[in-house]
Amino acid sequence: MVVQKILEVVDLRVYYKSIYGDVKSVDGVSFSVNPKEVFGIAGESGCGKSTLVEGVLRLIVPPGYIKTGKILYKNNDLLSLNDEELRRLRWGELSYIPQGSMNSLNPVLRVEEQMVDAITSHTDTPKEEAREMAIARLKEVGLPVEVARMYPHELSGGMKQRVIIATSILLKPSLVVADEPVTALDVVVQKGVLQSIANLRDNYGITVIFVAHDLAAHAEIVDRLVIMYAGKIVEIGSIFKIFEDPLHPYSKLLVAAIPSIEKDVVEGIPGLPPSPLNWPTGCRFHPRCPYAMPICSTKEPPLKEMKQSRLVACHL
Amino acid sequence: MGLSQLLKIGGLLFFKRFSNGFISILKTSPMLRAGLGILLLIVLMAIFEPLINGYLLKGHKSTEFGLFERLLPPSYEHPLGTDHFGRDLFALQLTGLLYSLVIGLIAGGVATIIAVVIAVTAGYTGGKLDAILNSATNAILVIPSLPILIAITAYVRMDLILMSLTLAVFSWPGAARATRAQILSLKEMSYVELAKVSALNKVEIMFTEILPNLIPYIIVGFANAIVGAILAETGLRMIGLGPSEIPSIGFLLNRAMDSGALAQGYYQMVLAPAFLLILTFISLNLINVGLEEVFNPRLKKITGG
Amino acid sequence: MENPLLELRNVTKDFRIGGGLGLGEKRSVKAVDNVSFTVSGENPTILALVGESGSGKTTIARIILGLLEPTSGQILYEGRNVGDWIKKDEKSYRRNVQVIFQDPYGIYNPFYRVDHVLYKVIKKFGLASSSKEADNMVEESMRAMGLRPEDLLGRYPHQLSGGERQRLMLVRILLIKPKLVIADEAVSMIDVSLRSIFLNNLQDLRSRLRMATLLITHDLNIAHYISDEMMVLCHGRIVETGETKAVVKDPLHPYTQGLVSAIPIPDPRKRWKDTVEIEEVTFKELLAQRQRCIFSHICPHVMPICKEEIPQLLKVKPRRKAACFLYPKVMETAKSK
Repeated sequence: MVVQKILEVVDLRVYYKSIYGDVKSVDGVSFSVNPKEVFGIAGESGCGKSTLVEGVLRLIVPPGYIKTGKILYKNNDLLSLNDEELRRLRWGELSYIPQGSMNSLNPVLRVEEQMVDAITSHTDTPKEEAREMAIARLKEVGLPVEVARMYPHELSGGMKQRVIIATSILLKPSLVVADEPVTALDVVVQKGVLQSIANLRDNYGITVIFVAHDLAAHAEIVDRLVIMYAGKIVEIGSIFKIFEDPLHPYSKLLVAAIPSIEKDVVEGIPGLPPSPLNWPTGCRFHPRCPYAMPICSTKEPPLKEMKQSRLVACHL
Repeated sequence: MGLSQLLKIGGLLFFKRFSNGFISILKTSPMLRAGLGILLLIVLMAIFEPLINGYLLKGHKSTEFGLFERLLPPSYEHPLGTDHFGRDLFALQLTGLLYSLVIGLIAGGVATIIAVVIAVTAGYTGGKLDAILNSATNAILVIPSLPILIAITAYVRMDLILMSLTLAVFSWPGAARATRAQILSLKEMSYVELAKVSALNKVEIMFTEILPNLIPYIIVGFANAIVGAILAETGLRMIGLGPSEIPSIGFLLNRAMDSGALAQGYYQMVLAPAFLLILTFISLNLINVGLEEVFNPRLKKITGG
Repeated sequence: MENPLLELRNVTKDFRIGGGLGLGEKRSVKAVDNVSFTVSGENPTILALVGESGSGKTTIARIILGLLEPTSGQILYEGRNVGDWIKKDEKSYRRNVQVIFQDPYGIYNPFYRVDHVLYKVIKKFGLASSSKEADNMVEESMRAMGLRPEDLLGRYPHQLSGGERQRLMLVRILLIKPKLVIADEAVSMIDVSLRSIFLNNLQDLRSRLRMATLLITHDLNIAHYISDEMMVLCHGRIVETGETKAVVKDPLHPYTQGLVSAIPIPDPRKRWKDTVEIEEVTFKELLAQRQRCIFSHICPHVMPICKEEIPQLLKVKPRRKAACFLYPKVMETAKSK
């Protein structure tokens, strides 16, 4: 049975205009997301993952612009919508938790006031009903009811992050995009927040796109994973398969580079990520790839299906 | 490391570093470019006033009475016409601009120097001396400057320098407070901690780590002080105070209005100096806003908020 | 241990909260509560100080560095009181004890090129007698850390990546050659894939310089990767110490057990089975903690005595200590380890 994809991205390119020319942050990315899964996007800093989700949600501001690409959300072309239609789509259908958003809670409003504001400014829901919705969502992310009457500065980092998650699902969206939601958190708190995110999928059927550079976090909650490098996708597949048998050399090195209590030896990846002003020719990983062949520096490998539902971009 | 050595190296570093950074800053903000452009224009007009007027008036000063026919309308020879005393208005505006800028420069310069010295001393020593200086600064800040300025200018014979210094005395506390606030926040930076752990003493830290990053603020403060002084002087003029030998823009404006130029229909006599004042003020505002554009990172908003 | 390199004895640091102008209660929070430990200098060890935010680990680091004064207790380096040493001869103390900060962005003054941080220490500590010698030193040290001088020198901080900037800090350490370095969350702000390179460099420095390291981190994976021994800090108190691998394999204190079980394992087949309770301590509860076990409010094994007395850090097994009433003092020792 073919499941309708909730999100399909085809050959998306997001560039930034600069005095040095176009900065090609996202340079030809295609993928699709199944409904009710946690879809992970991983990669080192600067690989373009944040820009990718900003592009998909049409949050790019000048000097950035979308050069080409198709973005289909439930078969609607997002690029053809005007501002008003986009606004309606957000919160109601597509919700976004940007990096560092736990610090953008309004410090002078109580939690429930901010959540109620979010509801009433997007729908005609009466205040009382909105308040009940807010409290229900707080409970769903595992926060005690008392949090609703508290101010943001009285909450810890983990609690704030959960408030953000609760706020993002207030209007029952179908898709939540979270960009580095656990990066700044302590390990026990991280576990709680990651579990809240997995909960969105397990108990509420919400699709989640989870962007993070920490592969271990992906390993805990993600179903399918995209690994990005230098503005392009190098591998997509089920998280189990990628960890068990990484196909792309970058994926292999990335998995091996994670320090873990189960490993005694950890190998870093030699060299440095390239600059977006000057992507390497051919396969962008070839300067750091231990298996590089002559063809790798001239011809860019296409993203091809290798084994069942696994896509890899490599000449091997 | 000797202080003179420090200053010499500091000077070289400032110049190189700032010319590099300056160009990229300019590229970022169109408002900044506009503001600086206007300011440059104004400054050039003032600097070249002697030359321009020397050519236009053939060696005479623009303030000389009776050089031309009185109350001529604008024409090719007199772009703005002439005033009640037969003086070319265009030449007069340039002279006014020059004097206003000079007053602003001296007043602003002196105020900035005092402010920086006090702020740096307070910031560097901290503790009791900082508390004392801070209280003193705040005390002076609270004093109502306008009544006192009025009193002083009304009773004391002023010349250019004295006028400027008087204005400076009342504007340095504001700059000192702002500078001290900047220093306090710079003190919290991680690179200051690294310097402490590298066994640098307080003086070294203040001069090598903090001061270089303070320069942009000092420059903006200086620009603000200049315009503040110009406006303050103009304000005093509009009440009729101040020496009549100094034909600042404010003086010209006041004279024009006093002699009933508006009622008599000689609008250019009032509009010209007012325009120059507004231009100066706009240029400064553009520079301030432009710099804020450059230095303040954009805040990210949550979607749909 | 005879003549430890660094010793903390009953160090406590209070921070006042509220009660500014005499209005309202004056309260204080113990950021560091009666902490004692030693770092050996003979076989330079890497000692990990593991704790979450609010545990007091950064406060301890700043106290050792002399940037903060403790409310009570002593900090001794080579037997001498650190506070006095700094007052008398700060330079020599700084030659001995150095730090690597967490934020690879903020530690560079944006006004200067990155060379500034290196040449500054050469000048201050008189490490070279001519500028040519200084240049050579910088170049050699960079190559020794696997960095290419031609790529990095002469650039401004924003032109380097976070990983490069942090590794440049290691070059700074190599130049100074301290006997003890405090790495305060040194890798938290660089990519996971780049951390191992940095940590490998740090280990390299340990052998090369015979330098002891106090590794402050909240990430047990990192502690496990390079530290020999570790201490677990919870709300200002040490709750467990021991050989790192042993502690991670078999944590004694319930708090440590919670930490270990919360580590994400990079293997999707080994996902967490349990859900975590929200440990959100309110301020009032923290204040009440003073005379009880610091973990008693949410410990799954809490007993009545836990809320009445403070458990002492006692030896439970050879080279393992824990502060918990679950473990009666098992080993009587003349010499504690």
